[in-house]
Amino acid sequence: MKTKKRNMVPYFFILPAFLIHVCIVAIPSLSTFVMSLYDWNGLGNGKFIGLDNFIEIFQDPIVKKAIWHNIQWLLIFITIPLILGFTAAILISSLHRSQMLFRTIYFIPYVISAAVAGRIWMAYMNPYYGLNNFFAKIGLESLSKMQWLGNPKISLFSVAFVDNWHWWGFIMVLFLGALQQIDPTLYEAARVDGANRFQELWHVSIPGIRPTIAFVLIMTIMWSFLTFDYVYVMTKGGPAYSTEILATYIYGNAFVKYRAGYANALCVVQSVICIFIYFFQKWVSKKGGLEDD
Amino acid sequence: MTKKRMTGKGILFGFLKWFFLIGMAAFAAVPLIQVLLNSFRSDAECKTMPIGFPDQWTLDNWSETWKIGGYATAYFNSIFTAAVVIVLVLTVTGLGAYAISKLEFKGREFFNAYFFVAISLPGFLYIVPDYFAMNSIGLVDTRWSLIIIYTATNIPFNMLLLKTFLSGIPRELEEAAKIDGCNELNSFLKITLPLAKPMFLTIAILVFVNVWNEFLWSNTFISSDALKLVATRFVKFTGEHSSNMARIYTASCITIAPIIILYLFFSRKFIEGMTSGSVKG
Repeated sequence: MKTKKRNMVPYFFILPAFLIHVCIVAIPSLSTFVMSLYDWNGLGNGKFIGLDNFIEIFQDPIVKKAIWHNIQWLLIFITIPLILGFTAAILISSLHRSQMLFRTIYFIPYVISAAVAGRIWMAYMNPYYGLNNFFAKIGLESLSKMQWLGNPKISLFSVAFVDNWHWWGFIMVLFLGALQQIDPTLYEAARVDGANRFQELWHVSIPGIRPTIAFVLIMTIMWSFLTFDYVYVMTKGGPAYSTEILATYIYGNAFVKYRAGYANALCVVQSVICIFIYFFQKWVSKKGGLEDD
Repeated sequence: MTKKRMTGKGILFGFLKWFFLIGMAAFAAVPLIQVLLNSFRSDAECKTMPIGFPDQWTLDNWSETWKIGGYATAYFNSIFTAAVVIVLVLTVTGLGAYAISKLEFKGREFFNAYFFVAISLPGFLYIVPDYFAMNSIGLVDTRWSLIIIYTATNIPFNMLLLKTFLSGIPRELEEAAKIDGCNELNSFLKITLPLAKPMFLTIAILVFVNVWNEFLWSNTFISSDALKLVATRFVKFTGEHSSNMARIYTASCITIAPIIILYLFFSRKFIEGMTSGSVKG
């Protein structure tokens, strides 16, 4: 009797967390897959329509646009913040007293709310009351006429710029943390062998942080297809769908048009893209030797 | 380093290095400092020149924005929600992480794997069913909807953090307590909990920041002003006063001030907490 009672204790410990999470996350996630087969407005019972939602997605021109914007987003975020973060991490890893100061400053944009950061930059990018006044004053006439968020040709890049502002410091800290775990004797050995700064970087630093590079790549690629906050806060997908991405399109369908079934089908497409990319990336990094097993 | 001869190339490299580092620091910090400066300008001045120091300093924006924006209510809502979520998350992840890291039982590996996978599930996978399910039982537009959701979404990551931390505490300590007659819960409360205090503080800070900054869920679930948290209240306010630039800058300051202050005090905990789990050595 006594032993039986003791065996139950671990379950009492783990079950509260598990049950809350299953009810709020796991079961609804599964129901997303089921409801993607329904024509459903969120209220009452939906009508089973098989794969019709998915057929509609493949014919929906806005979905194509959105995915293309996600791909552009990916190309921006897999290069710029990584290069900035990596360069800054390499440079400040050789500093001593000021290292903490730089790290603290670079990380600030990452801790503030996307809602606020987005609005602050919207104010700066306001064509009449924002930075354009400053550009006009210092004589940059062409810049001062720019509609940063209103011009469909550049609006996506304007939003990506702001998201980058918030994001690159985080990448920097990840790289810095990894660089600090490299065994210092490896650098000494390289120096004894007469390696210059560049060779040290290429033969010691980069191999030393390979797992972090692989992790950052996977994370960036998947998050590029999930990103929402900055685009929604700054442009809501507009103007003229020029910044529409999968997440904002899903949001609009679910909570503005109340097409919950269609939104769920889009969520399924989004998840499938992420899962596919995850395994593709794993395969590539294994081939390229970024990961060990 | 100092022994090195300063060649021409070395000087150029040093110059470029400091130019880059200081330039990036300015890129990160100046936009925020400028927001603070602009909150002391009149609206007209913000509109003609949003860069540099104000010509005439004024404090009117702050009292006006605080009052019109209903920030007292919004602050209360955010702090109340965060406090409840912190207590819930610490309780359930504390117990759960203790079980996973210290106790032997059937299914332990399953629970461990479950929370590990759960970290990477995107919110968009379950926000639609959650919304309509909560809508049908009348939870939408109540505090409880956000409290329940924030608790659930904050569990997996913090569970992992705490589990890793607890694994580092020698099991002998708890065994000794049990020989002295403590049951499992008491040895958790008396031995493990005091040792894990720093990690509990880290988790509390992370959860607070998450709740304070969160936008997607609170924007979707809460529509009445009296219940809005700071971030969503801010978005609504700036939408309504979009032509008053001074108020937008001031509202931004009011919204991020607590987080920035907390960050300046606990920057190490912020950075370690927010990046742990990502750096796999």
